[in-house]
Amino acid sequence: MPLNVVVCLKQIPNPDLQFQVAPGGQDIRRETLSYKTNGADEFALEEAVRIKEKHGGRVLALTVGPKRTEQMLREALAKGADEAVRVAFDEAASFDPGKIARILAAALRTVPHDLVFTGVQSDDMVSSATGGLVAGILGMAHASVVTKVQVADGGLEVSCELEGGLERSYAVRLPALLTIQFGTNQPRYAPLSAIMRAARQPIRELTPSDLGAASWNAFAGSYGFRIRGLTPPAAKGRAEMVAGRVADQAKRLALILRDRGFVRR
Amino acid sequence: MSQEILVVAEHLEGALSPVIPELIAKARDLAASSGGGVLTVLLGHDAAPLAESLASFGNEVLYADDPVLGAYTAGGYAQALAGLIERTAPRVVLIAHTSQGYDLAPHLAGSADLPLATNCVDVALSDGVLVATRRMLNDKIQGDFEITSERPYVVTLRSGVTKPAQPAVGGRVTRVHVALDPSKIPTRFLRLDRPAVGDIDLATADVIVAAGRGIQKKENLALIEAFARRIGGVVGASRPLTDLDWLPKTRQVGQSGQTVRPRLYVACGISGAMQHVSGMKDADLIIAVNTDPSAPIFEVAHVGFVANALELLPAVLKELGA
Repeated sequence: MPLNVVVCLKQIPNPDLQFQVAPGGQDIRRETLSYKTNGADEFALEEAVRIKEKHGGRVLALTVGPKRTEQMLREALAKGADEAVRVAFDEAASFDPGKIARILAAALRTVPHDLVFTGVQSDDMVSSATGGLVAGILGMAHASVVTKVQVADGGLEVSCELEGGLERSYAVRLPALLTIQFGTNQPRYAPLSAIMRAARQPIRELTPSDLGAASWNAFAGSYGFRIRGLTPPAAKGRAEMVAGRVADQAKRLALILRDRGFVRR
Repeated sequence: MSQEILVVAEHLEGALSPVIPELIAKARDLAASSGGGVLTVLLGHDAAPLAESLASFGNEVLYADDPVLGAYTAGGYAQALAGLIERTAPRVVLIAHTSQGYDLAPHLAGSADLPLATNCVDVALSDGVLVATRRMLNDKIQGDFEITSERPYVVTLRSGVTKPAQPAVGGRVTRVHVALDPSKIPTRFLRLDRPAVGDIDLATADVIVAAGRGIQKKENLALIEAFARRIGGVVGASRPLTDLDWLPKTRQVGQSGQTVRPRLYVACGISGAMQHVSGMKDADLIIAVNTDPSAPIFEVAHVGFVANALELLPAVLKELGA
């Protein structure tokens, strides 16, 4: 059963970096950031491509973001997506997943979609909200933290990860939106020939008018949303830090282990 | 106008989610601002004993018993809650930020057009405005966000950030009927599987030496194992390592793995993401080794070493005369 699979990708600042609050407290400083594809989204893309390889159909890579996100979409094309669409919403500090979800939902209405994948969370905002919101807005079936997807009998069978490693399985009707868990599969590397080909592939751009709106503001929810301020978090209990050369640190750690009785001799 | 705070009580196999007392505590704070009380909602089937134990927190429990709610589905829960929200017009709907909670909350908010804030470390009401405090970017940035609406706010609360509520008198169970249309629920529960029993049981270990991405290569696990052996411990790991199959899933410490409470926990090259910390923060003594001085693991650790574990551990083994 060939399926139209749309995978929603997000480009995020590498979360391993250090971050500073920009003057005014409405965003982080972005001048020196490097961006990457959100970790869980890599697994969502791989799962989408595997479903296409097994059952036929097409994979469309979709993102909401500025021009720089084209790099991510080209990587997706090189890894097996058939086409790429960028919603040209360019608001760096967009902290309301509700607005992004409404934009994504509007974009999804313009393309065929039997199955929509997102990552389980974005590692920058850690909301785990966008996928579920989109499903709720579009009235689609929906499952979260998915680690297994099987296409069966005109629908799906999926396993969802719960706390403590428990797995809960559901039969899911199509169309459906699944948020894919980190580690679900082994994402592939793109062969050089595919990277070269992807560099020449067109990326379709969607503007507000393509989505039937006068401006992006039309996608703000029925509520008000305001950033009161960003701050570095107040350190809670801070560890007693042991400085010095490795040899000195080692002496100290050995002493702690002996003092506390973890080493007998 | 006084409005209630609604707490959705997550449960599985006859047990309430351990974070429910935290949600109730936060709901009491919010209720003081909204001028209403706390209502807890139990959706299930044949779950009367659970409803009674929820009532022990001194609140009214709205208990909807329906075979359709016997197993959790986002569609079934969202339908039931939409009905209860209409009936009770709460100011806030509080849900745990768990796998189930962040499945349900956005689905409910999207389908019923309600404002949403997820994974909050704190939440408050100020003149009807919801102030949601969230942590982002590996917990390196905190933000306060104001959401303004006449409609009920849907909020998921991160676990471990609120002191749990103590039981109180005056609770009661009210059975409620909710209209459900099963044909509109597009997912059907099939089964619940537990992880296979592991090679070792981390949960009972006295000493755990855990490795994270900072150990760089699978071969370096030998060093972690040697160190663990020397101090009478076993090896655990953060999620990235078990995802890479460097260690079996049973060795994973964290929200999606084991929750441990050893006498000693040595975290080597683990940054300390929330998902890991929630599984080990109650260890008696936490020693963290990480090259990044701003790594959040140093917030939960008792003793911290800014060092490369691959250099520090061999030096410690030498000190110990291994």
